[in-house]
Amino acid sequence: MKAKELFPDAQELRKGRVRIELDKEQITDALKKLKENGYTHFVMLSCVDWIKEGKFELVYHMWSYEYKEHVMLSVKINRDGEDVVSNRELFPQIETYEREIHEMFGVNFVGNPRLGEFILEGWPHMPPMRKDFDTEKFVKDLYYKIPEVNEE
Amino acid sequence: MKHEEWKKISRIMSKRSLWMVHFCTGCGAMEMPPVMTSRYDMERFGIFAMATPRQADVFLVTGYLAVKTLKRVVQVYEQMRDPKYVIGFGSCTINGGMYWDSYNTIKDLSKYIPVDVYIAGCMPRPEAIIDSFLKLMDMIDKGEAIGWQKYRKYYDQYKRNQKMAFEYRLDEVKPIKEDDKNES
Repeated sequence: MKAKELFPDAQELRKGRVRIELDKEQITDALKKLKENGYTHFVMLSCVDWIKEGKFELVYHMWSYEYKEHVMLSVKINRDGEDVVSNRELFPQIETYEREIHEMFGVNFVGNPRLGEFILEGWPHMPPMRKDFDTEKFVKDLYYKIPEVNEE
Repeated sequence: MKHEEWKKISRIMSKRSLWMVHFCTGCGAMEMPPVMTSRYDMERFGIFAMATPRQADVFLVTGYLAVKTLKRVVQVYEQMRDPKYVIGFGSCTINGGMYWDSYNTIKDLSKYIPVDVYIAGCMPRPEAIIDSFLKLMDMIDKGEAIGWQKYRKYYDQYKRNQKMAFEYRLDEVKPIKEDDKNES
């Protein structure tokens, strides 16, 4: 069954591109439903920071070799520390994406035991991919202020 | 013979046999194969790659350095035996290059380890790399390539700067001279 039949309110952006907006409680069931209906390839999990709305958008990308169709499941959560359920039992590779999003955006995935230090080592500040993290100011306050070696 | 004369002879010898650490970071690693192989052939100058830092003389830092990579670079640099020379390769090691506003790459390599020769460019051509090696040989011959002595002499300052970058904070900064503060 194609995604359009499984989810009646799915929007077809163009041929082979389907976008489905869901609440965060529905996401595990939706992934399971897609996996059982031919969408066997979990491509990636990405995160978008919509700072004006105060939301993070998590996008689960799925692909079907049978229908040659790319399905995007979009979930919006509040920016201020709303928890999401981890889906690592369905697709083990989700664990790595969840670790990265936890480190770069600070989203907490309940049920993932490996959230913690991943790519950055000893990062003490706010997660750096959030839009309220001022990269330019941070760089100017840190790297440009490290003093030159003073030769006397 | 006097001690100075022995030093001069050892410099003449060592400048003709430079072994380079095989440690590649960033995109500069892509420029090394043409320099090492038959097209430009740096072996005719007596330079070749060595797999271990303890038996190498030259350290090419080939491109941008994330803070995580800088930790490894400092480890490798400290494992090398004196005398040792560093070549900063490409604009990323000079001022950050296209990563000037990146939150996790360092901007100026000479704040963390002493650099003897910089090569400008993004990326430098193989001719420029060979030219920098010739420049380094010339400096060794004249006794000007003294980065490794500077690292010993100003060790506390280099360590302080490294610590600031590794911990992503400037907390440890203290004015080096109290007089400077009073004047301003």
